[in-house]
Amino acid sequence: MNQSHGFTRHGEELFVAQFSDSEKEVLINLSQQIIELLAERVDHHDQDPLAAMVGITVHDSPPDDEVLLRLLPNAYADGVDAAEFRRYTESVLRTKKQAHAMSIRTMLMSSEDGSIELNHELANAWLGGINDIRLALGVRLNVEKNSHEELELLAPDDPMRGVYGVYSWLGWLQGNLLEALMDGIES
Amino acid sequence: MVKIKSKIEEEINAIFSTDRPWVTIVWDDPVNLMDYVTYVFMELFGYSRERATELMMKVHNEGKAVVSEGTREEMEHDVARLHEFGLWATLQRGDQPL
Repeated sequence: MNQSHGFTRHGEELFVAQFSDSEKEVLINLSQQIIELLAERVDHHDQDPLAAMVGITVHDSPPDDEVLLRLLPNAYADGVDAAEFRRYTESVLRTKKQAHAMSIRTMLMSSEDGSIELNHELANAWLGGINDIRLALGVRLNVEKNSHEELELLAPDDPMRGVYGVYSWLGWLQGNLLEALMDGIES
Repeated sequence: MVKIKSKIEEEINAIFSTDRPWVTIVWDDPVNLMDYVTYVFMELFGYSRERATELMMKVHNEGKAVVSEGTREEMEHDVARLHEFGLWATLQRGDQPL
């Protein structure tokens, strides 16, 4: 997968990368999946439209899906406090995460040759977006239990091997964007 | 009646008291890169690279670390921003065991 050289800093505040067609496709598809995954639950007919407009939702229970629960975690150990917080904030959090994924997707889709230029703000959106994809893949790969050594040893025909390849590549990509960003910061 | 009143007073005192602040805790996570966690602390809290790295190492080695302190509203804001960037964060009263 490591066809590109990742991100490099150009001047003060510009971070540049060149993606191959296959890398573009992988990133666009995964971003799209995150956007769809984070779409609002629409199973509530009793939703108050005014409350919905200001981002308050009637559902306050944690998501059933393991990936969604990792992307939208509880803010309190206490269940009642966590539910109250979720009621007022989950919708905004979904929208912000979708915006990160959207910026990856739309920038790559409009880049004919796969070249990408990020300013500081966009770099942060990309970091957050790439991280959400890694979190989602990490849950599916069960990185909590499986060590990297074990994942490296997956059989060539194991579909999880491909997922792990993408997960590793995204870690590498995120790492060199971070390196480029931190280059300009005094330690 | 007296008992209820003192209970309410205690709650009110807790809300306004500055010696019982709330805290934001970040928990260790097998996915998030160490550099990423450091960078997020620098960006969100304006911490120096040194302080952010120290906190990241504490999360990594001890499983969790208090990363900010303040009012409940401030901590809810911090937790929301940490969640936006995929860090696993919770808030609680500062005088409670982590």
